[in-house]
Amino acid sequence: MSEVIHIEANINGRDRAFEVAANHTLLDVLRDQLGLTGTKECCVVGECGACTVVVDGMPMNSCLMLAVEIDGRDVISVEGLATDGRLSTLQQAFLDVSAPQCGFCIPGQLMSAHAFLQRNLDPSIEDVHEALGGNLCRCAGYLQITEAVMLAAKAGRE
Amino acid sequence: MTANGSVGSSPNRVGGRDRVTGAQQYVADIHLVDELQAKLVKIDEGRARIISIDTTKAEQVPGVQLILTPKDLPHPMPRFGPQYEDRPILADGEVKYHGEPIAAVAADTKEAAEEAVALVEVEYEVLPGVFSIDAALDPDADLVQHPSLRPNEPFAHSNIKTEFNFGWGDIGAIEGEADYVIERKYEFPMVTHFAIEPHAFMVAPEGDELKVWSTIQHPFQLQKTLAKLLDLPLSKLRIFAPDPGGGFGGKQHPKLEPLVAYMAMKTGRPVRLIMSLEETFQAVRRSSTRVRVRLGLTNDGDMVFNDTETDYLIGAYVDIADRVASKASYVAAGPYRVPVVKIAGRTILSNTTPTTAFRGFGVPQITWARECTLDEAALGLGIDRLEIRRRNLPEKGVEFIPGDTPADGDWRQTVDKAAELIGWDAPLSEGRGRGIALGLKSGPTTGLSYSTVRLLADGSALVFCGTSDMGQGARTVLSQIVAQEMGIPIERISVIMGDTAIVPYDQQTSASRSTVLMGTSVYRACKDIHGKVRAMASRIHGMDEADIDVDGGTVRFTGEELPIVEVVQEGLGSLGGEVIGNGEMRKDKEPDHPLAGSAAFFEFNCTAIEAEVDDETGEIQIIKHVTVGDVGTALNPQQVHGQDEGAAIMGLGHTLMEVMIHDEMGRIRNMGAIDYRIPTSKDLPAELVSDSIENSDGPGPYGAKGVSEGSLLCTAPAVGAAVREATGLTIRDLPLTPQRVWEAMREQT
Amino acid sequence: MKEFSYERPESLDDALRLLAASGSEVEVLAGGTDLVIAMRDGQSQPKVVVDLKRITEFYPSLMWAGDTVTLSATATMAETVDDEGINKHFPALAEAAVVVGSVQIRNRATLLGNICNGSPAADTAPPLLAYDAIIVVAGPDGTRRVEIDEFIVGPGRTALQDGEIAVALELRLPSRPLGSAYERMTRRKGTDLASVTLCATVDDAGITRVAFGSVGPRAWLRTDESGVLADPDASDEAKAAVFEEIFADATPSVRSLRASPDYRRAMLRVLGARAVRRALRRLQELQGVS
Repeated sequence: MSEVIHIEANINGRDRAFEVAANHTLLDVLRDQLGLTGTKECCVVGECGACTVVVDGMPMNSCLMLAVEIDGRDVISVEGLATDGRLSTLQQAFLDVSAPQCGFCIPGQLMSAHAFLQRNLDPSIEDVHEALGGNLCRCAGYLQITEAVMLAAKAGRE
Repeated sequence: MTANGSVGSSPNRVGGRDRVTGAQQYVADIHLVDELQAKLVKIDEGRARIISIDTTKAEQVPGVQLILTPKDLPHPMPRFGPQYEDRPILADGEVKYHGEPIAAVAADTKEAAEEAVALVEVEYEVLPGVFSIDAALDPDADLVQHPSLRPNEPFAHSNIKTEFNFGWGDIGAIEGEADYVIERKYEFPMVTHFAIEPHAFMVAPEGDELKVWSTIQHPFQLQKTLAKLLDLPLSKLRIFAPDPGGGFGGKQHPKLEPLVAYMAMKTGRPVRLIMSLEETFQAVRRSSTRVRVRLGLTNDGDMVFNDTETDYLIGAYVDIADRVASKASYVAAGPYRVPVVKIAGRTILSNTTPTTAFRGFGVPQITWARECTLDEAALGLGIDRLEIRRRNLPEKGVEFIPGDTPADGDWRQTVDKAAELIGWDAPLSEGRGRGIALGLKSGPTTGLSYSTVRLLADGSALVFCGTSDMGQGARTVLSQIVAQEMGIPIERISVIMGDTAIVPYDQQTSASRSTVLMGTSVYRACKDIHGKVRAMASRIHGMDEADIDVDGGTVRFTGEELPIVEVVQEGLGSLGGEVIGNGEMRKDKEPDHPLAGSAAFFEFNCTAIEAEVDDETGEIQIIKHVTVGDVGTALNPQQVHGQDEGAAIMGLGHTLMEVMIHDEMGRIRNMGAIDYRIPTSKDLPAELVSDSIENSDGPGPYGAKGVSEGSLLCTAPAVGAAVREATGLTIRDLPLTPQRVWEAMREQT
Repeated sequence: MKEFSYERPESLDDALRLLAASGSEVEVLAGGTDLVIAMRDGQSQPKVVVDLKRITEFYPSLMWAGDTVTLSATATMAETVDDEGINKHFPALAEAAVVVGSVQIRNRATLLGNICNGSPAADTAPPLLAYDAIIVVAGPDGTRRVEIDEFIVGPGRTALQDGEIAVALELRLPSRPLGSAYERMTRRKGTDLASVTLCATVDDAGITRVAFGSVGPRAWLRTDESGVLADPDASDEAKAAVFEEIFADATPSVRSLRASPDYRRAMLRVLGARAVRRALRRLQELQGVS
């Protein structure tokens, strides 16, 4: 008798209304219910950042949120970064410097970086490391990821 | 004519776009109609005898379709493994390591499966297990594997799995020539792969076929394993291996696919098992080691002999651990000219997670011991640590391991470059130290890679190959080779991988082999096309084939130069079609070789570190980290750096923070991301410099060598040496946590 | 995760009524960064989850009035870190809040939740102890104000009774110039749980207070009224003796994975000295300004 709750949220720019189980996390619902599998599951304790999405402008671990908590909120997942098939400046920068290796952590890295750049277009390397400190990359492509964020920041300033 | 994305450039990663949009599909992103969710039944013990498994209550959970226990499996319990068929589908009467699956539930939902798992009642008796080298070697220790499982093995009545002996010359005869002899023991702890994508498996029965999805690096090996276990023809087993989300060796060999296959066959429905990160700690780890190095040197620092003993603590089942230990032990003396070498290696079974391949394949453990001991010798002899390495390096072409591939690079260039980049002779600030270390690993010793390239009528191309692209960038490099040889831009090339029904056989993706072995295969497929294009040109232009030259995307004859695509389009005519080329790269076994095969190439790296140690807390700050590899030719410089830096940072992980911790009952206490720490973006060296030496002297296409492991081999000894110079401390165990450094400082005073 | 029913009251009264009706089988949800993990692991299996984030009384989450800042149950670590006043007047709290988890965690985790969770390693506990924070607790019988030293009880335990909600945390500006600093010890520079947490404050009368955690069942606050720690001319031996007394109750667990008891005890002294030094410097800066 799983309690089902009707919620309305803006997902990647689109207003949507749907039902969620009270005990499902946002990560469960994005991946298994809405088919947005770009958001990844790894540690499910908020340590790896693979499941990061942006809620009302702020990066959050979707594994640590109940899906019902997004009722009335704006959620952006990696699928919401490109517009009409055109990569965002940030995505293009990731591609240009070959930041993705295996790619599994990249959606989370992108979401943290995306939210960060909304607040700071003139960051230091240390600022970027701090902003993305909650996103593990075992391929350890950290230098390229940082370079990509710096590039996107520069493009954003111009 | 150079097409966009040719060899030597750094085009956007093939598959990169899907990786930045979220469109890239990993196994867990794929769902099958009517699929069941599987969860494993385990007990929280390091070793236990299973008395009974009662599934009555669990079966009552709505949505549960199957609870598979050993009694549902054939008798005797089917077993498998890449080296020995010792791993059972489910724990066979005894849980031999923490987390070994006892049973498995398949249900309509994850929640139902979880609920049922909690309701399976397992009655068991906890048994004393062996969790360390010393415990396993105790004559009174219980045996990890029953002798009946390993008949005809000389050590079947002990926990020693295998002994390996390598070397050359007679230590006894030369010992007297050494002015200086040093003997040290170094330990390397248990660490785990921690790919961000946990292992995932799905099996779907379809008619007389089984379709299998796995995060596996070696799909063809999985196909063989399942075919044998299930008595099915290879043609009826179709393995889908989407690009893994990080492998590092941990996804090389079959793990739980056979279990999931049995579940799918029993239920007649697709079954899906997605492991948790915690469960991956119970699936894969690196062998921990104790390595004893005895070096004899002259007063000038010339090596006289190297007498090394390596003990690898492996898990309860062998997986590929014997191969890891023997292949690494074989090069224990490192990249040095040593007149006499004696290597005795052992693998030792224990009640712990089965160990497997892990980036560096057993070499980082030995390198830690050898390079640190060499440093201790240099200090003892009063010789500069860089100099003692330089003077013992073999010149290019010297057979430094008798009977194996001669030194295949000008390694002194690599070492000098690293020394220059770290500023070896520059004055040091207070509290800082520098270290330098060399690493050497044999590349693949055997290999078999087929490929097919289809040049289509519109001048685009398809590449079919069985390599797994798990981040190393194989899709990109293989595309670059085709771009180069067909003269077509990389954007017009697609690489098809990861489907055994479509791509031709490939032995495996390991040992930094893809560029060299599959790269050569694809290069040869292109050459096959060149031959066909030559025939076309000859037919069209009425010329002798001998007068036509096809190379690098261009057809040349009597003053004319035409793009291949143009000739092909004319040659194919109005019906269109395509030109198909096949490639094969084979490196056969060498029966007389101690490893059954010489190295296709050596991965050689020099790492230099400058570090600062906080004398109150023991914290190590890496000020500068230099890694230089001998790469032959960088087909894609950007990706070479990505691999090299990634391996360097992963090396810092096991050097500074990573260790699996067990309690006295053999239970892993720090599973998952909270108490097993890997480097984050905030743990990077203040400066990381990755450079390479390129002399186009590798066996791969355009002179390439493999590059993905080198900088991980010698991170730890380079850091250890820097810490020693900064503090005077010699620490012989890893990781160099603040606490360990602090304890050493306290003992020193 | 086990099933539960989800409630999202819009007033504090409604929330308290829900709690009263659910007895002990209820969890309140604010940031959820600890609760969701506990529910997934099965350590917590509530019948009802009461989400506090739509309670109108909790907004704005952070409010200055006179000499007091009030942070409601929904005030996140990020909001705490971003507040100018907190950074200016309670810098050790900002230093502690900014190392709690990652950016993603700080956007969700609440300051009050960090205290209510009752972890001995809670980063914000030492500064809140040193700054004499007050926890405002609402219950069926009204509201009570509890000193944080009384509120924190032990691992996973606080002074909260069934049916009560910690609704706010209050900090009053120090009555006299006060320098303060926060220090912690971790296994890596990136996000980590601390093996030692420590906050020191020094006032212009030479009184030093040291609050420290992660070395026993709860974080403790101790005071050096002798003036030795705050005295730049005092000998290292004299200071060591004071620290000896201050840290006498530290009982680091031998079972911990994060560091050994010896190391933790030694680091208390190292971090204690560092924090006092930085606190003194801040005090001098304050006095230089005034």
